[in-house]
Amino acid sequence: MSKISKSKIKDFMFLILTALTAFSIILLVSGIFLVLLKESLPAINKFGFKGFVFSTEWDPVREIFGAAPALIGTLITASLALLLAVPVSIGIAIFITEIAPPFLKTPVGTAIELLAAIPSIIYGMWGLFTLAPIMSKYIEPFFQSTIGKIPIVGKIFEGTPLGVDLFTASVILSIMIIPFTASIARDSFNLTPSVLKESAYAIGATKWEVVKDIVLPYSKIGVLGGVGLSLGRALGETMAVAFVLGNLNQIPDSLLDAAATVTVKLANEFTEADKDIYLSALYYLALLLFVMSFAILALAKTFIVKAERR
Amino acid sequence: MKRRKIVSSIALFISCLTALWGIFWLFFIIFDVLRHGISAINFDLFFKDPAPPGQPGGGLRNAFVGHILITLCATLIGVPIGILGGTFLAEYGRKYKISKFISNLADIMVSIPAIIVGAFIYSVIVKPLGHFSGWAGGVALGIIMIPTVLRTTENMLSLIPWTLREAAFALGAPYYKVIIQIVYRGASTGILTGVILAIARVTGEAAPLLFTAFNNAFFSINMNEPMASLTVTIFQYAMGPYEEWHTQAWGASFMITVFILFTTILGRILIRRRYKF
Repeated sequence: MSKISKSKIKDFMFLILTALTAFSIILLVSGIFLVLLKESLPAINKFGFKGFVFSTEWDPVREIFGAAPALIGTLITASLALLLAVPVSIGIAIFITEIAPPFLKTPVGTAIELLAAIPSIIYGMWGLFTLAPIMSKYIEPFFQSTIGKIPIVGKIFEGTPLGVDLFTASVILSIMIIPFTASIARDSFNLTPSVLKESAYAIGATKWEVVKDIVLPYSKIGVLGGVGLSLGRALGETMAVAFVLGNLNQIPDSLLDAAATVTVKLANEFTEADKDIYLSALYYLALLLFVMSFAILALAKTFIVKAERR
Repeated sequence: MKRRKIVSSIALFISCLTALWGIFWLFFIIFDVLRHGISAINFDLFFKDPAPPGQPGGGLRNAFVGHILITLCATLIGVPIGILGGTFLAEYGRKYKISKFISNLADIMVSIPAIIVGAFIYSVIVKPLGHFSGWAGGVALGIIMIPTVLRTTENMLSLIPWTLREAAFALGAPYYKVIIQIVYRGASTGILTGVILAIARVTGEAAPLLFTAFNNAFFSINMNEPMASLTVTIFQYAMGPYEEWHTQAWGASFMITVFILFTTILGRILIRRRYKF
């Protein structure tokens, strides 16, 4: 009798222990949100939402803070990175699932996933010392002399190609987020029933037609989820961008301008914030970033779950 | 007919090129770090503390030791919580909806900007204590570790067949004993892999350490003080004006990259051997 109840008590204690640790995830996420909210309250009260998000001023001396340049910097780098990375990622997923011979599938897949294992600080280091000089010497002048000559579109490549700018940051970001879309897209492609593909082949479709008309439409929700995941990553990436963006608080005119993102601003100014309202404004930025990336990642996750359930 | 075939081969060719594009960057970055880093590796880098700014010589002993201590602290926090939490999701709580919710939330948390965690810890630990500390850095990295470990543990436990548990139940074993002695044993390689990959990920983090552990130009093993770490030192040195600093930053980058590539590949080999994917 006593032995049974003893083991029951132990079992219950273990249950409680594991349950508490599992629920700590909920506690952490809500805790992070509440703490960020609490710390940013002074700035929220002082500037409001519109007054903060649409203001371009960032003046610690006069204690006026606006988030527009940082938010725009974040949006430009993230969307340009997405634009560069998504086609490549989907191409890689097609290569791994449909084209590569079996002995190449694993090594190529691993190599692409290793891109995600390289820490962002290494990307930043490499970006500053290796990629930025290459960009300023060869790639940016090339874009200036080609696309830059087209009247209206050319404006985005105006300015001196220094290498420390939005364009370089976006290129680095795009390399970093390739593996996220690629691996999710690969998994979704693999979920396509082979009966569908075989039927298409049977009526004479080429491999590309099978991919374009059968695999891609079937797995588009999953791929969309992968894109969302990449976007969430790109929004929150700090160190890789901090090296090559220059933390300049202005709304950029061209891709060759230095700029700031929310993360870069946080990384550079957080420990320098000497006034409470300054720190609070930085927390407000962090809160906006948290809400944005959480919303996008949650949406991406629902897409991925939906794709898996089919 | 012919046109369709041509279009198909062009599209497939482009797809091959994208794979090459990805692999190209991987090797470019790795070789670049190796090329710059290997010449910076010497005895002094590991066993000497930094020289005053601008002067030649010195090393990064303080950063190496600090980095190991902070990572160790993070592992001690993140691994137990992650494994136990994953156990709940895969065992006791597997029938509840809330478990699915927690596991999705953990998946989201894996991708939450790391710098946010730093800001969070700054508010709950650094500000009340009034100073930066190695502990704060360890806790920040520990928090980043939890969801990764939790998710792999959950997945690995789910792979253990139910018949195995039922056999143990039939012998009269209580659930906790079944988990600890049967399920954990069966899933140990998988869990270990999860832990290794989580450590690898956390080793490269710089953003959450910027305003928790901060930095320290002197050797210190007191976790209650600001503590140097390799990643923050790389950031500071790379952005600094001295050639000597840049070389040392490459040396530190080299060590981190080699460590992370090694552990990541080791983790993959372990898991492939065990589960034969």
